[in-house]
Amino acid sequence: MVPLEQLHLSHVLQAVSALESIVLRSFGPEGGQVLFTRDTGQVMVSRSGKRILTALHLDHPLARMVVRCVWKHSTITGDGSKTFVLLLASLLRIIHATATKDPHMFQPHNSTEASEAATARHLADRLLEFALTELDKLIVLNVLPHGFRVSLENFTAKTQHDLSCQTLLVSFFRTRLGYAYCDFFRNLFCELLSHWKVKDDRPSFSMQFLNNSFLALHTQVSGVPVNCSRLIEGQVIHRDFATPCPQVRKQPLKAVVFNGYLQPKLLTTGDVLELRCGDKVTEDRGIVHFSSWTEKSVESIIATLQSFGVSVLLCALKQSSAVLAAATQAGMCLVECVSEEEISLFTQLSGVTPISDCRRIHPEHIATLTFCKPLLLGAHRYVHLDFHDCEERLKVKPCSLVICAPSEGQADQHACAFQDAFRMLLTALEPVRKTQTALEETIPSKKCTSLHADNISNGTACRVHLHQKCVTETGCVISAGGTFEFLLHHALHQYGHSCSVSVNTSAVVPVSQLLEKALLSVPRQIYSHNLKHFLQAQTRVVALIPKQPHALSANFIHTEGPLGDGKLSLCSCENGNMSLKLLDLGLESVSCKYQLVLAVLQCLTNLLRINMVLRTHAVLHTESHDSLNAHSESSEGEDED
Amino acid sequence: MYIASYLSSLMQMSRIVKKSPSVCTDLPLNSSDVCNKLRLMKELLKSSYGPTARLKQVHNNIGGAVVTTSTSSVLLQAISSSHPIVSLIKGSILNHVSRFSDCGLFASIFCLSLIEEAGRCDLSKNVIIRVNKHLLSLCTAHLQQEDCGCKVQLDFCSSQSLITLARSVISSKPTCVLSEPESAHISRLAVQAFLLTVPCNIPDKVRLGRTVTIPMEGHSVLESAVFPGLLLDTPENISLGNLCSPLRMVLFSASLAGDLSELGDGRIEVHQGVDTDSQIVDQLLELGKQVLKDEVKLFVCQKVIHPVLQHYLRCNGVIVIERLGISLMEPLIQLTGAQPVATLHTTVPWEAYGEVHNVSVRPFGSKTKLHLHPAGKTTICTMILCHRNETMLSELKLVCQKTEHVLRLTLREPCALLGGGCTETHLAAYVRHQSKNDVSESSPVLGCSQTEYLLAAEAFCRSLESVATSLEHDDGASLIDLTHAHHWTLPSDAAEEHLEDAAALCGCGVVQSCQNKKWSYLNTEYAEFSPEPLLTASPLQPTVLDSFTAKVNALEVAVETANLVLDVRYVIQDVN
Repeated sequence: MVPLEQLHLSHVLQAVSALESIVLRSFGPEGGQVLFTRDTGQVMVSRSGKRILTALHLDHPLARMVVRCVWKHSTITGDGSKTFVLLLASLLRIIHATATKDPHMFQPHNSTEASEAATARHLADRLLEFALTELDKLIVLNVLPHGFRVSLENFTAKTQHDLSCQTLLVSFFRTRLGYAYCDFFRNLFCELLSHWKVKDDRPSFSMQFLNNSFLALHTQVSGVPVNCSRLIEGQVIHRDFATPCPQVRKQPLKAVVFNGYLQPKLLTTGDVLELRCGDKVTEDRGIVHFSSWTEKSVESIIATLQSFGVSVLLCALKQSSAVLAAATQAGMCLVECVSEEEISLFTQLSGVTPISDCRRIHPEHIATLTFCKPLLLGAHRYVHLDFHDCEERLKVKPCSLVICAPSEGQADQHACAFQDAFRMLLTALEPVRKTQTALEETIPSKKCTSLHADNISNGTACRVHLHQKCVTETGCVISAGGTFEFLLHHALHQYGHSCSVSVNTSAVVPVSQLLEKALLSVPRQIYSHNLKHFLQAQTRVVALIPKQPHALSANFIHTEGPLGDGKLSLCSCENGNMSLKLLDLGLESVSCKYQLVLAVLQCLTNLLRINMVLRTHAVLHTESHDSLNAHSESSEGEDED
Repeated sequence: MYIASYLSSLMQMSRIVKKSPSVCTDLPLNSSDVCNKLRLMKELLKSSYGPTARLKQVHNNIGGAVVTTSTSSVLLQAISSSHPIVSLIKGSILNHVSRFSDCGLFASIFCLSLIEEAGRCDLSKNVIIRVNKHLLSLCTAHLQQEDCGCKVQLDFCSSQSLITLARSVISSKPTCVLSEPESAHISRLAVQAFLLTVPCNIPDKVRLGRTVTIPMEGHSVLESAVFPGLLLDTPENISLGNLCSPLRMVLFSASLAGDLSELGDGRIEVHQGVDTDSQIVDQLLELGKQVLKDEVKLFVCQKVIHPVLQHYLRCNGVIVIERLGISLMEPLIQLTGAQPVATLHTTVPWEAYGEVHNVSVRPFGSKTKLHLHPAGKTTICTMILCHRNETMLSELKLVCQKTEHVLRLTLREPCALLGGGCTETHLAAYVRHQSKNDVSESSPVLGCSQTEYLLAAEAFCRSLESVATSLEHDDGASLIDLTHAHHWTLPSDAAEEHLEDAAALCGCGVVQSCQNKKWSYLNTEYAEFSPEPLLTASPLQPTVLDSFTAKVNALEVAVETANLVLDVRYVIQDVN
């Protein structure tokens, strides 16, 4: 008999609260590292919520489900995993309180638990519905005006204007690596971006490229202080030369990439070679004949390569000693077992195709390198090479990243933070897509274009304009330290107020109030060490919000010029001092935050829809996994559309 | 069929076994258990530090060899970590040691002291981390300066300072049990071997050679020697006929045992009457004939040679050496200029042959070695290390490898730091002085109050001084002089008043005691002062030197690791 376990709301709350208590230790400016050991004995350090949560071997199926949602969210956005858990816990707490206070809100049930669960489910569904329809509008109207726009040009420009982008990165690295190294890694990151920036091309393209090939682009070195991390020109292949590398060589060098074995395998698995007495084939030298044939073919390949002037061979597979000896004698350097990622990066940067059939070698297989030499990084010797005409061909200056740290765990942590910084920026630079349709319903769209040039004091027009900005232009950021939450809290408060006035349905709790209350838990945790700071921060942010809608629109007009120029702009100029103060806290991306709120609400809805857990001891793991998978798959589907 | 399904169900069962949940610790540095573990580790490492260290015996209670050591790399590996924080520190230090071979104990003691001192002063961890980082940059900037008071420029014109450096490394490992003349002999050999591996004619890129170390048990240490060229194991009855110099040699990297491994994974069916073995042997003999025709006198193979071929070559007066092993391939290629051959069916190309100037047989007790003399200038040398028993010998071998590495590091930065604890006390005095001076500028930048800054700086300096104190194990007192800030030790039986007589020289041997010097006990309060530079025309040469590169890196690794540990708020331990 399968044991049944009825799931109560309090169980869900318990599970999520447990996760929250772990995550809280590394949350906010006073948070620290979480250290964990794997079952292999490997030691890892992290401040990333995603890594911390996935490192736990959780028993509770609900907690596992939450971790899955967090993982999915932060893999896409690269940020916000701790806030995710915090917000979820806070929402659950509020729903729990509401449901226990008034369990028979919707329909009468037999037991209190059942009706509580039904109420909670209902509230969660309405919350999600509300967020999907109204939240984007609220953010556009109430949060975006206080933000700044950043674009990728700012990251690479060496001017004073790029303050906001630098701050965005610094605050990201601070949450990941602590105060000690955030400036150092910010500089390194910007330097990397400026090297890889494709001239006259979409900036996010190079960012996407870096994100995809980050594995091949960085090298971790342990046992060396962090400030030895640096950029080096060209590509590092994480293998050593298999043949001795000759000292002096002419430049430029010619290189080829091989996918297969250079020495042909005479017999593949399943083949049978029969040696008969007095056979025609074997009559002269027998089996020796076959092995001499394979050696001859190696020689002919090496001879062909020599005729092309090739001196560097990169191979995906391990080669036989005959091949190594032949390459040595021909004065070629050979690198074996090059990983797939590195070969793919090499072929992208050099523009050549790998050779799979050794008998057909054409000039388009041959890449030109400026150098190819051994490079000692930490305990390992790697191959270091650079491409000859990359700047003309690809309009980039390829360079690799060396990440140093005293221990492997720390180096790994830094590498992860780098990778997540790419994801975060990609999300930040993405437009808030959903807003377009939402607002176009209310406003005639043809106005938009004509309004661009002249300043019109009409509030609606401005909204259109602003709206266009965040759809077409990208990368809106806002001061960190809870500003987003405070602003959205205020907006929801106003919204809830207007709703209860206009539609007199006092029987139904306005769901926006639930979210409104829950949001405040995030800044409360940021300032958990000092409640005074929390109140100060809240008053400061609320003071920025103009009282009348007209004043709000005036703000937009004010900032329009700088926004259009793509430079840093502080939106409310009359409150410039205030905003600058907030800048000290760092910056965070609005679109990351928006996606976060949506993802949390989706996760919440999923959690509350479950009412029972079946624990079995049979070979069920496929089934149970599938059902879990299906569940998170569905949430993923919702995430993406 | 039945078995297959049974197996698959077993596999599924093995995969369904539940993992036990992780063990979590909140705020680990506040728990007394963790603090005790760290203190124990610190005491253990402290007592292994320096030339008068207490040795540690490492053994497994299930069995196996007993290791006696005081080397950080061996000790730390032996500590089976019961706590993730311990393994975090261990991992960092071991990584440092594997890169720089020196100052592992310095780094670990300093790191653990920093953590302990941070626990003692009641400051926010974030403040301590920021101040530590600031003071570290102060230290490294000071050490990089030309006129730094604890730095010595190495003079490559004389080998004296190199020998001092080597000797400091060797004498800091008391497990080797070396007498004064013995450690002097080994230091000289280490420097000689190092100098032999540096190429004379420098092309555009310097490539250092190799020292191959051969341990020999049961001989006196003074019989250790360094030879240019390589010494290889020989078959028992070797006869060196009258060989003319130079000798041509060939080196095979493929197996010559008659196996055909490169044919592929398929099956070979041999019908009756086909003698594949003889076909292969014929082929091998064919190869032997060619080699003889080309007047090869030395035939070396990385792997196994077929006995028939061996016999054939020996009968024709060729010296045959098989099973060379992969590790000696590279030095042999560098020594002889041969290119390894792996093809059996094609003729050996003329360029693949290498040459040696001569060969001779050297007896070492019961063993004989074949000595290959280099044909020209070479950067390959062999070091024969002798010692009375196995434990001491294995430690001596380790120490010699470390010494070689430390000497090589001087090529990167040709300077050294004063040893004997003088660098630590000097740095502590410097940091104390600087932090007093820049307190008003630094504290707002670091986001802390002036008092917090000074408290954290004091903790940093005390940790540095405690490393110097750890050098003393015989209940002696550690002192600092208040002019140059060098480190002095006072034997326990000497009275404080007669310090001038009791300690004639400071830890590194540069400063002489005199009447008007003032001293203060380490770890007591003394008025901060700026350490005076030494007079340039000092008559005394330092007797103890530390590797500059290794120590600077150790300093940085120690502070960064301590900062990381101080930042840990939660520990999750996977106990599966």
